[in-house]
Amino acid sequence: MKLAGEQILPASRERVWALFNDPNRLSRLIPGCEKLDVISPTEYAGTLNVGIAAIKGVYTGKLKLEEVRPTEHYRMIVDGKGKQGFMRGSGTLDLAERDRNHTAVVFAGDIQIGGPLVQVGQRMIDSAAKMMLGQFFAAAEAELKAEAVGKVARQGFFLNFWRYLRTVIKSRLARKS
Amino acid sequence: MFAASFEYHRAASIKEALGMLAQFGDDARLLSGGHSLIPILKMRLAQPAHLVDITRIGELGQVAETGGRVAIGAAVRHYQVESNPIVRGKIGLLAECAAHIGDVQVRNRGTIGGSLAHSDPAADFPAAVLALEGELKLEGAAGARTVKASDFFVDLMTTAIKPGEILTQVSFAPLPAGAGYAYFKHPQPASGFAIVGVAAWLTLDAKGAAQNVHVGVTGLGAKAFRASAVEKALTGKAPDAKSIADAASHAAEGIDALADIHAGSDFRAELARVYTRRALENAAARAKR
Repeated sequence: MKLAGEQILPASRERVWALFNDPNRLSRLIPGCEKLDVISPTEYAGTLNVGIAAIKGVYTGKLKLEEVRPTEHYRMIVDGKGKQGFMRGSGTLDLAERDRNHTAVVFAGDIQIGGPLVQVGQRMIDSAAKMMLGQFFAAAEAELKAEAVGKVARQGFFLNFWRYLRTVIKSRLARKS
Repeated sequence: MFAASFEYHRAASIKEALGMLAQFGDDARLLSGGHSLIPILKMRLAQPAHLVDITRIGELGQVAETGGRVAIGAAVRHYQVESNPIVRGKIGLLAECAAHIGDVQVRNRGTIGGSLAHSDPAADFPAAVLALEGELKLEGAAGARTVKASDFFVDLMTTAIKPGEILTQVSFAPLPAGAGYAYFKHPQPASGFAIVGVAAWLTLDAKGAAQNVHVGVTGLGAKAFRASAVEKALTGKAPDAKSIADAASHAAEGIDALADIHAGSDFRAELARVYTRRALENAAARAKR
């Protein structure tokens, strides 16, 4: 499955880079992330308890970083599995400055997913991945906005879910009018 | 596989069910007909520690006409929707849709509330509920609220139901006199799920032009939707083969079509156009001026 897109975050490249490389803050942005441990500066191990509606599961995995160019680019290699299935893949993340306070996060990746979850839910995997990316970016935006005023954003699974849903609803309303 | 262990609770009232949801929180799932939930449990894609059965709550199993609207309780079975004379008489599109769900055994157990709350992208009911502009009643600890069908289906298997809320009822205004309706779907041969399903109804004005065109499509994207481009294209036109085919060509516009081994996205989009055309042709043929 190919995953690609671009999201604008309301912060400079330096601040976005700092956010994405701080495991404590990053773990609060990833949907369902319960743990993100640093094994080395370029390797993390994590646990995710994540899903959609009734279908939730725990996944454990490793994340490796390569081709690290600070504030610009890195390549991620992911390998995770759980009772419901496994996921393996790699992708690139590029940060491009739009202006002093806005950064475009450009991501592109290729992921293999398998196991019981895919056997029955293959048609939903793309949509589910889009939802989770949406939640991640909604959380990142909230965190950056809060940081700008010296606060720490409240994060949490349902809170980011509703933040993401608000953006969906807003864009639908905008389309209607 | 068989399901992981869980505790079964039977709620005797909506209040009791809400109390159980509050008590068990994230570890509880509501059990209605069970025909979306139990397969998920058996495949161990979900392992809730508690199931709260709401099918014994009397008021959730009623179909009634109140205040000029047809109100269907969330625990009403598909076969009841299919056969109930009030539903068949006033909102016949919903009964026709129900008749196409799964098979006889599924229709004997499955409930409309469960189907709508689960919001599988291939479920049949969402298409008809959207086309009929149903209103959904959600009850929570803080009270009850009503959500329009157009706001209820938010994303993939995600609805407007908040944690701790229960969908208790869906209500509809009766179809206007002379309305013609049809539900057409392309079923997955084994499960009967809609690879694409289209629910359509319209009326004809005195000149024979199509008015009140409502088209709900399921199976194509992450959630069911109203094909507003199709509706606009046909409104005010006499519904002949050409005008319907032109209108139906917009059926998949703006939708990210799902893809799996049964149908790729291009094929699904084409199915949406074909079945929209068929549904509109039949709805127009059944409409009376």
